[in-house]
Amino acid sequence: MSLIKKILLGFLIVMMAIQFIQPARNKNGQVMPTDISKTVNVPGNVLAVFKTACYDCHSNNTRYPWYVNIQPVGWMLAHHVKEGKEELNFSEFGSYSARRQISKLRSIENSIRDGSMPLGSYTIIHRNAQLTKEEKALIINWARLAKDSLFNRK
Amino acid sequence: MKYFLLIAAFNTIILIACNNANSTTSKSENNVETKKETPVQETNTTTPVKDILTGYIQLKNALIADNGSDAAAAGNSMVGAFQKFDKSILAGNQKKTYEDVEDDAREHAEHIGKNGGNITHQREHFDMLSKDVYELVKAFNAGQALYQDSCPMYNGGKGATWLSETKEIKNPYFGKKMPSCGMVTEELK
Ligand code: HEC
Repeated sequence: MSLIKKILLGFLIVMMAIQFIQPARNKNGQVMPTDISKTVNVPGNVLAVFKTACYDCHSNNTRYPWYVNIQPVGWMLAHHVKEGKEELNFSEFGSYSARRQISKLRSIENSIRDGSMPLGSYTIIHRNAQLTKEEKALIINWARLAKDSLFNRK
Repeated sequence: MKYFLLIAAFNTIILIACNNANSTTSKSENNVETKKETPVQETNTTTPVKDILTGYIQLKNALIADNGSDAAAAGNSMVGAFQKFDKSILAGNQKKTYEDVEDDAREHAEHIGKNGGNITHQREHFDMLSKDVYELVKAFNAGQALYQDSCPMYNGGKGATWLSETKEIKNPYFGKKMPSCGMVTEELK
C-alpha cells in the first residue's frame, strides 16, 4: 500500500470512529413561560423569521437536519448552539433583567443591520435563513417598537 | 469507499466554513488584569465604582483614538472591576441600581473585550454600556469631574451619549472621522 493510501485509510478510520461520539441534543419541545413572545408582542411574520433563521442557535429548540449525524458537523452545531444561547436565548428572554432585554433588542437590531447574524457558516447550508431586504427591515422595525414598549413599561 | 471520501470532503468543507466565521472574534482574551497606562484625572474623593469608571474612561479614550485593541483591554479590565466589586455592602438605592445594571454592563464589557478587531461592534456595545455607567455614577457619585456628552448623529440619527472626564468634546463613536460631534448635556459631580 502506498503512503498516500495509508494516510487516507487512517483518516477514514478516524472519521468513522468519531461518528460514534454524538453531542447531546438541544430540544425541549415546549414553549417556555419565559419565551420572548410572552414578554413582548411578536407578530406572526416576525416570529416566522426568527424561527427559520435564528431559533436553531438561539432557543431551546434546534431543528436537526440529517447531516448533523455526521461528525464533526454535529459538534460544530452544538458549539454554535451553546455559544449562541449564552448570548441570546429567545426561549428564556423573559428571565432577563429589563435592562438586558432592552440591550438584547438593540443587539438584534444591530446584528441584522451589520449583517453579522445569522452566521455566514449557517446560511451557506440553510439558504432560506438568508434574510431578504424586506425581512431585515421587518426585524429592525419590530426590534425598535418592542424596545420602546419595554422602555415605557420600566 | 467513494461514499466515505465524499463525506470526508464534505466534513472538511464544513469545518473550514464554520471556523473562519469565528476566528475574527475569539482573539484577545488574554489580558483581563492589565491596566493600561492612559492617564486618568485623579482627585482625592473615592467612590465604590472607581475601578469601573477608570476602565470606562480608558475605553472611551481608546475609542476616540480608533484603537480597538486598547478598547478591548479596557473592556477586559472593566470585566475584572465588576468581578472584584463587593456588592454585599450595598443597600437601598445603590443596591437596587447596581443589581439592575450589573449583568447588562458586564456583558457589554465582555463583548468589547472580545472584539478587538471590530471597532464598529465595540462602539455599538459602548453606546449601551454608557447608559449603564451613567446610572452607576448617578447612584454612587463619580468621585471626579465628569460630564455626560451627547452626539445626535450616531445610530442613524437617533443619537448616543457618553461620559467624559474633560469638558472638551472628543467623540468616541466616530473617532478621528468626526472628533467634535457632540455637546455637554450634564455635569455630574
Ligand atoms: C449558526 C448559529 C446561529 C444562528 C442561525 C444565529 N446566530 Fe446569533 N449568534 C450565534 C453565536 C455563536 C453568537 C455568539 C458569538 C458571536 O457574537 O459571534 C451569536 C450572537 C448573537 C447576538 C449577540 C451579539 C451581540 O452583539 O450582543 C445576537 C443579538 C444574535 N446572535 C442574534 C441573532 C439573530 C437575530 C439571528 C437570526 C436572524 C441569529 N442570531 C442567528 C449563532 C447563531
